[in-house]
Amino acid sequence: MHGEELTWSLPVISYLFLAGMGAGALATSASVLLRSGPSGTYFNIARYGAFIAPIPVSIGCFLLIFELGTFHVGLWFRWINLYRVINLSPMSIGTWLLTFFIGISILYAATFLPRNAAPGDKWDRPRRLLAWVCVPLGIGVAVYTGVLLGAMPSRPFWNSPILAMLFLLSSLSTGIAGIMLAWAILHRKGDPEAEHRYRESGYLLTATDILLIALESLVLLLFIMYAHLTIGSVKHAISVILAGGPLASTFWLWVVLLGLLIPAVIELFLILPRLLYQKTFEVHRSLEVFMPVAVLIGGFMLRYVVVTAGQITYPIGL
Amino acid sequence: MFELCLYFELEIMGPNGFRTEKMMSARTMKRKRGRRKFMERLGVATAAAAGAAALPAAARAAAPKRAVQYGMLIDARRCVGCHACTVACKSEFDVPLGVNRSWVEYTEKGDHPFAQRTFLPRLCNHCSEPPCVRVCPTGATYKRRDGIVVIDKNMCIGCKYCLQACPYDARFLNPITGTADKCDFCVHRISQGLVPACVNTCVGRARIFGDVNASGSEISKLIAHNAVTVLRKEMGTQPNVFYIGADDSDEHDIHYTGQYIHVNTHRSKKERR
Repeated sequence: MHGEELTWSLPVISYLFLAGMGAGALATSASVLLRSGPSGTYFNIARYGAFIAPIPVSIGCFLLIFELGTFHVGLWFRWINLYRVINLSPMSIGTWLLTFFIGISILYAATFLPRNAAPGDKWDRPRRLLAWVCVPLGIGVAVYTGVLLGAMPSRPFWNSPILAMLFLLSSLSTGIAGIMLAWAILHRKGDPEAEHRYRESGYLLTATDILLIALESLVLLLFIMYAHLTIGSVKHAISVILAGGPLASTFWLWVVLLGLLIPAVIELFLILPRLLYQKTFEVHRSLEVFMPVAVLIGGFMLRYVVVTAGQITYPIGL
Repeated sequence: MFELCLYFELEIMGPNGFRTEKMMSARTMKRKRGRRKFMERLGVATAAAAGAAALPAAARAAAPKRAVQYGMLIDARRCVGCHACTVACKSEFDVPLGVNRSWVEYTEKGDHPFAQRTFLPRLCNHCSEPPCVRVCPTGATYKRRDGIVVIDKNMCIGCKYCLQACPYDARFLNPITGTADKCDFCVHRISQGLVPACVNTCVGRARIFGDVNASGSEISKLIAHNAVTVLRKEMGTQPNVFYIGADDSDEHDIHYTGQYIHVNTHRSKKERR
């Protein structure tokens, strides 16, 4: 908007997206594991989620380090100072949270490593114990990405308590999308029992995702509505994503249309036959890939729009 | 609790313990933190609590007053917009190109022939409730006992969180050290009994520097005798840079005054944040 470099640019935007996705995948994986019985129908959801989770979060953390000013001038390891202090700064809490997240999610993923991993094997107990830790950790990291931005009155666009909620819902949704995409690409056809499990899990994920998308849309609506109904700085800030604003088309086309509306409509058409008429859950291969990709793009663009809009707006008056 | 511990550690830096080049690391401070200091503080806190009971409710609700709080009063009526302060600051700290610790904004408003230009010198406000300190993840930014907000450049990692949190856009990333940087009221000069470089050089004597909490000081008398304002008071940061006759018009004002307004920041950031 002003032809200036953003203080927090693409690495931070990518990090917020990747950390959210990893956190969402871990929370989904662990809660599915804890909720599912010994039949093992949904075991693969937990497995894929566990394998996915640490990867985007670790990549995101590396990107964060690349963004640091000290890293740019050759002080490669200055970020270790983060571990010399703990205080109430959201970033300090987030650092410790992310560290525990990466460590525990790797341990959790390791319990799924044996080729014949199944419910009730010898790793079952540690796996379940870790899962109890993974649910709050995943939700914590997802919420923290929103708190990081929301903690500053000097940024009226971000300074909203509902932003963390929005990021949490988006994180869970993108985490599920990550699991769906990985499974859609990697699964092999053939074995009828495996096909049955695949369909059941696909239904569970799709039905959960549409619920999350609905909630996310509601929270997004409230976020925009309340900002627009105030006067002053916040109203001025929200105007950049409303009609006439510089980010309006990016927001409405990429976030709302591609990221929320299109996946919601597709998912609705996919789950309704089973939900209403007990028909088999069937998904065409192309949709199976397109749907999560759209959700992931929408999740990234949400972070892009929020981070950019927050930095090109400021309190009005001096 | 951790924050509290950190607070106590930082508090041991007395008003005369200025360290600019070699800021104490957290570890050194931990070593130096003595039981005696802690007991002293406890005594002070008890006395303050006893005293507070006698004060009216409004005064009690205010933040605990520091013994020393350095601040600055800028009389914008005396400023001629010569940028001598900007230049003095630049040379004092060898501030890299493209960034400023101190700068002067020009506000032009009105239409010919009823137009005027006013000058607004800007610097770090050394807030009593500094948002930058609250968000710093390493404790590199802290408020000293004498009220000056400083950055320990050996602790700072350059995450730029404080740049986002500052409502005055007073902070920047130093391209040479890669750490956050800003005005520190020239701690190396005032520890030697000198005034900050910008105050020293000001041709119109528009800048008054001193302890705003000392009732006899020139600055506290001027604050008491004049209509003073601070910038963005609604942010609740309680700034310690006060202005007399500052025109805080903003380019947004054009929407309701209808008057031409242009703010020239004289910085690489053309837009005032």
